[in-house]
Amino acid sequence: MTSLGQLNLDSETAFTLLPELVMLVGVLAIILIPNLGNATFRMPLTNFRVPILIGGSRFETTNDPRMPNRITTATFAIAFVSSLLMIDSTSEEVGGLLRSDAFSRLFSAMFIGALLLVSIATTHRIPAKRNARVPADGDSEAVTSRKMAALIDNRRQVDFHILLIMVGLGMSLMAMSTNLFMLVLCIELASLSTYILVAFHKEEDVGGEAGAKYFIVGSVASAVGIYGMSLLYIWSGDLSLDALAEKWGEMQGIDPFAAFGIGLMMVAFGFKVSAAPFHLAAPDAYSGASSPISGLLATASKAMGFVALIRVLVMITIPDFGEESYWFLMLAVVSVVTMSWGNLAALTSENPKRMLAYSSVAHAGYMLAAISVVGSGLAGEEGTRIILIAITFHLAVLVLFKLGAFLVLSLLETEGSGHRMQDLHGLGKREPLIAGSMFVFMLSLAGVPPLSGFLSKLLMVNGIVSSSAGTGSPSTTSVYSWIETVDPVFFLAAAIVANSALSLFYYLRLSLVMFFEESEKPSRLKSAPSLRMAIIACAVLTVMCGIGPASEWLVGLVTTSIDSLLG
Amino acid sequence: MINDPLSVITIVPLAVGLALLIMPKILSSAEGLARASRAISMGVSLAMLAITTMIFLGEIGSIDWTDYGSGYSLTNDSILLIPSIGVSWTVGIDALSFPMVWLTTLLIPVSMLVEWDAKKGHLFHPLILIMEGALIGVFVSLDMFVFYVFWELTLVPMFFLIMVWGGDDRRYASMKFFIYTFTASVVMLIGILVMYLYTPDVAGSGTITGHTFDLGVMVSSASSIPSEGLRHLVWIMLLIGFATKMPSVPVHTWLPDAHVQAPTAGSMLLAGVMLKMGAYGFLRIAVTALPESTMVFIPLLIFLGMVSLVYGAWVCMGQTNLKRMVAYSSVSHMGLIFLGIATMQPLGIAGALFMMFAHGIISPLLFAVAGAFKHHYHTLEIGSMRGIAHHSPWMAGHMMLGWMASLGLPLLAGFVAEVTVLIAFWMSFGWLVMLPALTLIITAVYYLTSMQRTIFESNDPHQGILPDSLHGEDPSDITWHENAGMLILGALTVLFGILPFIFWDMMSDWSSGFMIDVLVQAMESEGVNP
Repeated sequence: MTSLGQLNLDSETAFTLLPELVMLVGVLAIILIPNLGNATFRMPLTNFRVPILIGGSRFETTNDPRMPNRITTATFAIAFVSSLLMIDSTSEEVGGLLRSDAFSRLFSAMFIGALLLVSIATTHRIPAKRNARVPADGDSEAVTSRKMAALIDNRRQVDFHILLIMVGLGMSLMAMSTNLFMLVLCIELASLSTYILVAFHKEEDVGGEAGAKYFIVGSVASAVGIYGMSLLYIWSGDLSLDALAEKWGEMQGIDPFAAFGIGLMMVAFGFKVSAAPFHLAAPDAYSGASSPISGLLATASKAMGFVALIRVLVMITIPDFGEESYWFLMLAVVSVVTMSWGNLAALTSENPKRMLAYSSVAHAGYMLAAISVVGSGLAGEEGTRIILIAITFHLAVLVLFKLGAFLVLSLLETEGSGHRMQDLHGLGKREPLIAGSMFVFMLSLAGVPPLSGFLSKLLMVNGIVSSSAGTGSPSTTSVYSWIETVDPVFFLAAAIVANSALSLFYYLRLSLVMFFEESEKPSRLKSAPSLRMAIIACAVLTVMCGIGPASEWLVGLVTTSIDSLLG
Repeated sequence: MINDPLSVITIVPLAVGLALLIMPKILSSAEGLARASRAISMGVSLAMLAITTMIFLGEIGSIDWTDYGSGYSLTNDSILLIPSIGVSWTVGIDALSFPMVWLTTLLIPVSMLVEWDAKKGHLFHPLILIMEGALIGVFVSLDMFVFYVFWELTLVPMFFLIMVWGGDDRRYASMKFFIYTFTASVVMLIGILVMYLYTPDVAGSGTITGHTFDLGVMVSSASSIPSEGLRHLVWIMLLIGFATKMPSVPVHTWLPDAHVQAPTAGSMLLAGVMLKMGAYGFLRIAVTALPESTMVFIPLLIFLGMVSLVYGAWVCMGQTNLKRMVAYSSVSHMGLIFLGIATMQPLGIAGALFMMFAHGIISPLLFAVAGAFKHHYHTLEIGSMRGIAHHSPWMAGHMMLGWMASLGLPLLAGFVAEVTVLIAFWMSFGWLVMLPALTLIITAVYYLTSMQRTIFESNDPHQGILPDSLHGEDPSDITWHENAGMLILGALTVLFGILPFIFWDMMSDWSSGFMIDVLVQAMESEGVNP
């Protein structure tokens, strides 16, 4: 066992942790830069004034309320590129708690990429206005409140962006954690920041309610998870993931401490991925938060939950493949319930954000089904590898089309709409390119080829089918007798197919209203150039990652990362 | 590029169509492009027709279609698309796919011509061009993944064609169309994945799964799926996908709705080519890969074919909507294709292939006429209008020709197909042939009664009865472009009725080769004397 506290701050470690250090610098910069001013310190007894920069009246650039957003975007851009470049580098241990390898770097690139998009969207969603003025006496009530809102938005730019970077830091470190304690700690760092981000518009009823609900349910789930972790500690005496896996391998039968510990941790992670029955807060949180933040919850936060599930379920509890793990049946049932519940609830949603929230619940169900196949003991080493590749690929492309859809809603929210299906009416006429991108996102969510959502779903179904189709008795001569002999895991694929068909209804409905209903407001949306570019980039990448060289590149990256995870 | 004409005819329409749709939205300087898009689309589609015709004449690839052996022609060097899971861009044609490819390239310019004056033409014609690329892609791709991609890609332009240019109930129809066929295709996808799973492990190929989507490999290795029960299950999953597309009773209900609501060109392509995708895929994949399962399920095929044939025709008699009637007659004719395949005779399969081709010419003619009827009389009700021969002689003429061809009048294309299927059916199943043969009488009944009611019958020989929807205006005859399109289709109907061997030779060559390669072996292992 490596003892803690061996962190050497040499240049090598610094390079290994480059994306995290960049984010740390970003936080410091956001705190410091807006406070830079022309303050001076007069040397005692002289007239000589030394500028000390902190305080005084601020310079024009540092006074700019758009500064935090720019710093954040730049921070995430640098951190994103550096994580992406580090995927191919060798595995490096840091201080016995963290490991930077292809797996963790792929996920940190995914997290930071999502945050970069969120940060770009925030530029227009929570805009900072340079010319915000204090309301004058003669202003009408509406003008006063608008001016006040602009001032408040300017005022809290720093808060929002610090929280955003904290989310990135927590998630990125979480992906690298090799110790369960560190893992839970980093999840909490990211989660606490997201709770506040969800409630960021606390002056609106929905925002405050969403944040409170999400926080309460989330902290209960975390508490349960931490309790599970403490049980694991009692059982093993060590929370390092490798040690836990080793101990699990040596265990005769199933130790109740270990089983309960893992089970309780699954509650916490199940909440993060919004698996039924822990998903109930998710639709409220998504619809109450601003759209970029909802997109963050649906992609990065969900990916974080899946990293934790992969680390704990796959890496600890099945050290040797081939046996059915004790959580298999439970997870399989949960996955089917999750996907069906998500899709059925999405069918009746009249709020596009709620609909996307339920669709994200359904997608969690698909991925949980794939994970449960790993636990069925049928997958074998090769099958496990393929399933993990499928899940990771799905999480990666989800950032493109799920977050892309939320970015479109963000663009709508800049004019104050986006909470009703009617707000999407006539988008095809108002904004053909944006509506076209949204259509691509919807089709990709539904899994229509050749979009990347199809490739990822195909990989997952392929993983399930390839693990289970061989279990049917080879001597059967009729369909019915074969179905009787095949392992029920095969029907998880059928459940995914049935649910895909169901999900088409609402994805198509949303697409339809954009093109074939008359809009209430015929004007074009705000120009928001960077947000538009982000949306279109997401749409183009959604297409390109479905077939052709780009998809091959991404599959290659994912394969490298999964190989580094499985050793 | 000249070595690879098939990739060209697949990708060029897709690329040009997409560019025509997107460019005017991005560049304001491309306004002129929007105005020219109709002419550009037509030009591209005619160029594609020229290429396929040259392939047929042997100018490109110098293929001797009169003596076509087995294997694919005009194949390209595979281009790896997603090497990690074994997807590559491989194309090729043989005598099964070539008539369909030629038919597609023919119908696209014709349907554009018929709807030359469509509203929002700068979007309509590029969409049809995209449709062309997707349809050709289905027929030429020799990689199952790419096949599936094109298979689903055809849904998107058709969805928009119905949704934007469709009738009053278009939203319901397009949703139903999309959901039905997509769901069935996903079931088919599981079947494909099981086949994929049992492709030989290509060591060192760099794939993460160790398998390939190559159509030839997948088809030849399907017999190595260990369990017979699983092979049957795969066959049934494939059948669900293909039968829904064809469509066969009981999964046919999307078709009448889609047809009634679709614009004329949409209906023409839907009936002309999209339905054939089902039969093509069934022969290319399900029957070829799993001949033994096909043998086992022949009773199911006969049942489905017979029910589609009889039920489709029976329902036709009760229809008052012109397009709905033609749609059900398509269901009925598709039933004949199943019967032809079920005979397991070279003659029957060739007859089914010819039915695919003949129906691909006749039903677009019928839908073009129905669309023109709707266009000029503003109604589709059969009884609301009498004596159109007086008002619109050209339309009446095309209508007559189309209906006669569809009911199987000798010397027209439909007759050749029907009669060969029936002969083969009689050879295989004896007197059971009475049922399909008698159904042809029902077909004659519904066509002749509607013909009498719409074209001829009139109380006043000079006036006829005009539908209320005209509001007292005088109806006009069809426009020049509608007439031109219908004339082309009508001429081809006659041509292939008199000289069926133009395509018949290659079809019968293919089916004989197919029988020898695939089916005889399967029959022997099932204990049937071929």
